Amino acid sequence: MQHSILWLFLILAGASIIVFTYVYLSSKKANQSDQGMNQPLKKRFWFLLILFVILGIFASVTIPKSPYYLFADETPARVLHVAAMQYAFILSNDAINPESPQGETDLVLPLNELIEFRVTSLDVNHGFAIYDANNQLIAQTQAMPGYVNRLRWKFTSPGKYNILCLEFCGMDHQGMRSSFTVK
Amino acid sequence: MESLKTRKITSVWIVIVLALFIVAIILGILMRLNQGTIIQQSPVTFYGNMTTHGLTMIGIWFVAGMAAVNYLMERYVKTSYGVNLFALICTIIGVLMLWSSTFIGHFHAGWTFLYPLPFKVAWAQWATPVFLSSLVVLGVGWLVWSVSLMSQILKKYTLSQAFAWQHFKKNPAVETPPFILITMVTLVGVIACLLAAVLLLVLLFAEYFSNGSFVNDAAAKNLTYFFGHTIANEMLYLGLAVIYELFAEVSGRPKWKTTWYVAVAWNLSLAFILTAFFHHLYMDFVQPEGLQIVGQLASYLASLPAAGVTVFSILVAVYRTKINWSLTNLLFFIGVAGWVIGGLGAVIDATISNNFVLHNTLWVPAHFHTYNAMGNVLFSLGFFHWFAHKFDVGFYIDKNAMLKLTLILFGGIGFLLAFYIGGADSIPRRYSNYPPEFTMAAPLATVAAVFATFYLLAILLFFLNITKNV
Amino acid sequence: MYKNNVFYFLVIVIIGWNTSVYSQQDNIAWKEESHVYTKVLDAPLKGYGLGDSTSLLQLAHQNPTILALIFTRCTGICNPFLLQLSEKLEWEIEHKNFNIVVISFDPRDTEADMSALAKRFHLDQEKQWIFGVTDSIESLNKSIDFNPIRDETRQQYDHEALLVGINSDGYITKKLIGMRSTSDLALLVGSIYNSFTPTHQLPNKNRLFSCFNYDPKTGKNTPGLGLLFIALPAILTIFILFTSNYLGKSERIG
Repeated sequence: MQHSILWLFLILAGASIIVFTYVYLSSKKANQSDQGMNQPLKKRFWFLLILFVILGIFASVTIPKSPYYLFADETPARVLHVAAMQYAFILSNDAINPESPQGETDLVLPLNELIEFRVTSLDVNHGFAIYDANNQLIAQTQAMPGYVNRLRWKFTSPGKYNILCLEFCGMDHQGMRSSFTVK
Repeated sequence: MESLKTRKITSVWIVIVLALFIVAIILGILMRLNQGTIIQQSPVTFYGNMTTHGLTMIGIWFVAGMAAVNYLMERYVKTSYGVNLFALICTIIGVLMLWSSTFIGHFHAGWTFLYPLPFKVAWAQWATPVFLSSLVVLGVGWLVWSVSLMSQILKKYTLSQAFAWQHFKKNPAVETPPFILITMVTLVGVIACLLAAVLLLVLLFAEYFSNGSFVNDAAAKNLTYFFGHTIANEMLYLGLAVIYELFAEVSGRPKWKTTWYVAVAWNLSLAFILTAFFHHLYMDFVQPEGLQIVGQLASYLASLPAAGVTVFSILVAVYRTKINWSLTNLLFFIGVAGWVIGGLGAVIDATISNNFVLHNTLWVPAHFHTYNAMGNVLFSLGFFHWFAHKFDVGFYIDKNAMLKLTLILFGGIGFLLAFYIGGADSIPRRYSNYPPEFTMAAPLATVAAVFATFYLLAILLFFLNITKNV
Repeated sequence: MYKNNVFYFLVIVIIGWNTSVYSQQDNIAWKEESHVYTKVLDAPLKGYGLGDSTSLLQLAHQNPTILALIFTRCTGICNPFLLQLSEKLEWEIEHKNFNIVVISFDPRDTEADMSALAKRFHLDQEKQWIFGVTDSIESLNKSIDFNPIRDETRQQYDHEALLVGINSDGYITKKLIGMRSTSDLALLVGSIYNSFTPTHQLPNKNRLFSCFNYDPKTGKNTPGLGLLFIALPAILTIFILFTSNYLGKSERIG
């Protein structure tokens, strides 16, 4: 998904550069007698209208895909409790006691079944980001102290998934990680 | 007209901004070199530099915009020299305090100092209060400056004239110059976000001194980004006010006038800009869904007046029109292009379903560096250049104008592409060192550092040329 | 809602920003998260208002269920807890056909004790309410992670006030520990109908400047005191704007 986003961006950015260059060159070539753009107000109106319609379509297509609505009608097959802390993730099948946080290692999650991650933090704000076997970010939520954020996801391909922290949380932010396997 | 004193203090602002810019760029390059494993910094040093880099950049480009607006405002209303000086002193003291907290005290909670991180002290005990106090000093100085400028405007224009409401109808009796309108709209946003910062700091100080924990994390985060997003956005608008004032003038064209659509657009953008910050909290599911959607819609809508009015106006002003091109209006023109491209990256990221896989990856610094380094900075450089040469007698020829532009474009584009590619590769932002599985991360960082060095060279040339002349 | 917030504000200011009032819950709050989406034990039930059903899951299959655990001889939280629950469900939560099953975890309690309890709370005529006992209370406790500790000398239990939401598939959807706000209760009721909310607050962090409160009537979050704080910069800005305008007026005329 990210790569198509990059391409979309590069195409739009390229188009902008072409427009600006073209306009600049038209000014360079212009004579004293040139009158600039014909009917700029009309063109401005059309430009705005087209932009408005494009953005409207974009919004109505993308908003329903927001993570808050992901798999909202289903009951999860598996719950994973996640407690983030400086600088580790604790993952557990059971609720995590903040007094003596204990997690499990070598977690295996089922393929093609709905998993609910219940993510919280025991100290500062952290990020909980799931990376697939190709190191592409596929889903994330923030871990905020005092709140449990519920991230639902279905893993459609087996392999090792990494979890990284995506909210700056201190000096070992970059070393804060965990992983699980999907089979 | 302007006094000699205003001219002098504007020169001081310019020199300070450029000098601090060079330091902050060097910190940025060091960060990229460290990520590229070319040099070895401890994470504490890295994150301390990151904090300094972020806050210094925000600060200098905000004051650069303010100083330019203050200088040009003298054309319409009298401004207060005393307040200008006060802001300058506060800025110097604030930056010194900030730097001592990060460089000496090793404070490294990031420029957003997201609660409760500043209280999880992993640095000198005194660094947290000094860091927070430095923000108070900066915030108070800037707040007084903004309120002073706004009240000066309101001494000449009524409230509705300052917002150009009379332009909603045909043939208004009084004309509001676009410069006044944009400055007014921007100052209101600036005051709101600085007040948010002050409020946040009051809460944080109360917490600090009471050892309590009564600040709600979600409320603190909202305030943080209301302040952070809005100030970063408004400083761009300060640059736009300068463009509205100067672009036609330096191009040898008739001065731009406020039309009904300019008036409507800028009034609307005030509403959008104050609600767009919600897009920083998309991944905080605690935020009500309604506000998340408001965030996406406001971010989208904010682009309409910007693109449909300001950008389009620049294009209309240039298209097939004979213009006296100089470094100043070239910088303005290229800056607007950079702003547009950064804005595209921003709108993409302000889409919740995209943010789900882009949030806090390198995509984020990619887009905001685009409209800062290739947008806002160029607006201010354009002003600096114009200011430095406006008192020249006769024509001057800037011998290395093309060299500077080439370096900026070459260095800037290369540096930014590394960020965008990194973002598309899901590489996290704010990592002092990259995990080994991101094989492209370190090479991209190194390449970015090399390109940024070219950008730095251009800024050094600007610094030499401009400081010689002011 | 607003009055409530002002009240909380004053209370908390008076006690000097001391959060110790919540600290008793600190250690147990996380237990709300335990056993979520596991199946509750199909405990056989005897008691008042059961109809044809003979077990907890049979009830749940008919209608989603909220399970409350108490004992009739309780001198502590049970009575106020039950009173608050019945009042909130009666007046503040949207009426739906879910069951509220009140079960005693004290083996001394009989069907008659529970029936008397129902009468005392005037709930004996309410179709939603079921009061009963089970002979497999220990297994039931285990299946919902509820651990009352018997104090032999006082003949009492040291226990938390627990509500368990059970959907019609018999799965635990949410738990609430302690006397809780209407909004938390509404989340519990929503959960048994499988309505998904992407977040919830843990009770021990009930801090002063909470941004949003869950509104049970609309099922949405509503602005709380914290949001007022976020709006404060905007309000102050408008104030400054009009003050400057007012001050500027004299100079404009002159």
